[in-house]
Amino acid sequence: MIRANVELRIRRQDTPGSAPYWQVFNAPVRERDNVISVLMQLRQQPVTADGQRVDPVAFEHNCMEEVCGACAMLINGLPRPSCSALIDELDHPIVLEPLPKFPVVRDLIVDRSRMSEHLQRVKAWIRIDGAWEIHERTQRQSQQAWARNYLYSRCMSCGCCMAACPQFGPDKAFVGPAPLAQVRLMNAHPTGRYDSAERLHAIMAEGGLTDCGNAQNCVRVCPKEIPLTTAIGELGRQTTLQMLKDLFGA
Amino acid sequence: MTASIDNTHFLLRRLHSLFGLVPVGAFLVFHLWENSQSRFGAAHFNETVVGGLQRLNYLPFLELFVIALPLLFHAGYGLAVIGSGRAEPLRYRFLRNRWYWLQRISGVGLMLFLLLHVGMTRIAGMFEPSIRADLFGHMQQSLSQPPVLALYLIGLWLAVFHLANGLSTAAIAWGLTTSANAQRRFGWLCGAFGLLLGAIGMHGLIGFLAAAGGAA
Ligand code: HEM
Ligand code: SF4
Repeated sequence: MIRANVELRIRRQDTPGSAPYWQVFNAPVRERDNVISVLMQLRQQPVTADGQRVDPVAFEHNCMEEVCGACAMLINGLPRPSCSALIDELDHPIVLEPLPKFPVVRDLIVDRSRMSEHLQRVKAWIRIDGAWEIHERTQRQSQQAWARNYLYSRCMSCGCCMAACPQFGPDKAFVGPAPLAQVRLMNAHPTGRYDSAERLHAIMAEGGLTDCGNAQNCVRVCPKEIPLTTAIGELGRQTTLQMLKDLFGA
Repeated sequence: MTASIDNTHFLLRRLHSLFGLVPVGAFLVFHLWENSQSRFGAAHFNETVVGGLQRLNYLPFLELFVIALPLLFHAGYGLAVIGSGRAEPLRYRFLRNRWYWLQRISGVGLMLFLLLHVGMTRIAGMFEPSIRADLFGHMQQSLSQPPVLALYLIGLWLAVFHLANGLSTAAIAWGLTTSANAQRRFGWLCGAFGLLLGAIGMHGLIGFLAAAGGAA
């Protein structure tokens, strides 16, 4: 049931290199719509507020339940997943822009491959296959450790924390908060911890942990409430100890 | 496997943080403590406070290696750090984000203030023996001009904020405080420390104006 029209101001961009421009739409909204469902509606009738028929707005989405991270964008100036941004809870008009700090592919779609490059840079994986077979299963961990580690495993690589970070950007070396939090997670894993010195060395190089300026926007905007600044503090402690080991011997 | 000490990036950044605390931060505390004795008047200040310092063993080396060079390194590297970020204090109106922005503003402001301050006291004293002989009178004369007093008040609070906030971020950087609660608690503690240090600094400035002047 269409309940009302809502004004959407959308920053559009036709190709990766082209200049962005703004368009205003009066989109029909139903009860309990979110930004993505409104954009889906709009795609069927891509007509601007002054009656001009335009190309449908390009956007990305997948899970519609805030676990895939694909639909993150700037909504009324703040980065967040658009599937969990309910129209009823937003100030109007609703302003939509592509997630900043990442290159725009088209309209609201950005290229987040830097996220995966940075996850690779900090070795955010667990080595289970060596040159030999490992017959052992992963060791058990305490319920308490499990509960703490679980928080970080919820990261969906949406990039909101990176977009809000003053130290992260296309022209900056900083790996960003999400990859750092994954180092925290992997270093605590019973098998992953065997490679923790390597991960620490990766984040003690250019663009690593020390490029964090403690603005702490990341933890404020993370939709999964991941304790990013706790991870950064814990990695601060781990790198301090690693530095002492490197200086004086392990 | 390359170790962290084969790459200077981490060490330099930690050195910047360390120098901010000691010796530069520690010197700021000492400096404001010494100046708070201005209320005892010209004779005590010139002879006991300034005289005591001027008679210190190896004074020029201490001034150079404990104050000037660490401060220059911290300031120079600080400028590079400022260039590596882009604050958005209006978009993200969170407290820590405002502090992040102010830490950088205060760093630049401090650099300008310190150039003037060191120029007007230590450097001017090298050319003008009368300033060295009666630093109290010199400060009293300077601070009784309202623009200079305003400049010193701004410089004081910039320095105190920068140290107090720097203390709370250094605790995160080195891994002293990890949980959000610990970071919040320590943040309040640093705030209280800053207010106390600022009050001591204000007391020092007022002392120059209120206490009996004249070297004779
Ligand atoms: C009274 C003199 C100064 C004191 C006591 C001082 C102290 C400190 C302290 C304790 C920190 C915290 C370090 C950390 O978070 O790890 C800091 C950070 C900083 N200082 Fe200073 N500082 C002084 C002067 C300056 C000057 C002149 C600049 C020049 C621009 C400057 C720029 C910075 C910057 C940019 C940071 C932030 C570093 C970061 O977030 O990584 N400081 N300072
Ligand atoms: S840490 Fe949070 S904000 Fe950052 S990418 Fe992961 S889910 Fe998104």
